[in-house]
Amino acid sequence: MSLAVVERWVEAPLRRFVEDAQAVLALLLTPSGQVLAQHGFTRAVDVMSACALAAAIHASSTELGRQLQGRPFAGLHHAGRRRQLFLARADTPRGPYVFLTVFDQASSLGLVQLYYDEFTARLGDAAPPKSNDTTEVLAENFESELDRNLKLLFSR
Amino acid sequence: MSSSSPFIPSLEHLTRQRGVLGSLVVSETDGIVIDAVVQPSVKAPVVAALAASLYRRARQSAHAAGLGGVKYLELVADGGRLCMAGRDDLVVVLVTDTRVGVGLLRVELLRTAAELPE
Repeated sequence: MSLAVVERWVEAPLRRFVEDAQAVLALLLTPSGQVLAQHGFTRAVDVMSACALAAAIHASSTELGRQLQGRPFAGLHHAGRRRQLFLARADTPRGPYVFLTVFDQASSLGLVQLYYDEFTARLGDAAPPKSNDTTEVLAENFESELDRNLKLLFSR
Repeated sequence: MSSSSPFIPSLEHLTRQRGVLGSLVVSETDGIVIDAVVQPSVKAPVVAALAASLYRRARQSAHAAGLGGVKYLELVADGGRLCMAGRDDLVVVLVTDTRVGVGLLRVELLRTAAELPE
């Protein structure tokens, strides 16, 4: 399984999700687009693109949900002809994350939603508490942080 | 669930049978609930996702073995049964306890599945 993580605590919950849901691709990122873990990608540039797009879609759909119903949408599902996409927010004690997964006919939306719920619970349990010295990713160091994370994911 | 759904009368009829804890119409492809009449103890979205996956695998297995389509699928567990019958992409799923009269229920389930809209 081609799974790689930037932070160790993400690995077990993500690995379990990928196995249970038979996901083709999976990506965990911060709302600003910093990658934390990936499964199924073979090129850093694809992860970078997917993170940027997922963060943008998440931001748009969150705001659209607020405008329409006063709160963000719970998740977003897009069904393609051969592959489907599910994008949702994952809240942890460490803060919110964005989760993107792609699946095919080996799985289903129902299974992905089911195992996504279990994934977020496990992620919440595994997340270390947010420490005071945790540095927020600012616009000025965003690119260097992204480069560092991509190197960590694809250097093994 | 909406009371105007065309599935509700059939599902209510099935759920009134002795030992039936719930009945659901599920999309086989998506594994999501189309409609359901279930007791509070039945987690409809979870049952729908897993039962649809099971039914799909059974259909694929029967096809691979050259047996044609699946007419009826029953899983017997310690505390009850899951009974399934489908038509096109729709699957009717019954969750029962151990008191259920399987023969009659199977007839009712197959009749409901046959009446599903194409």
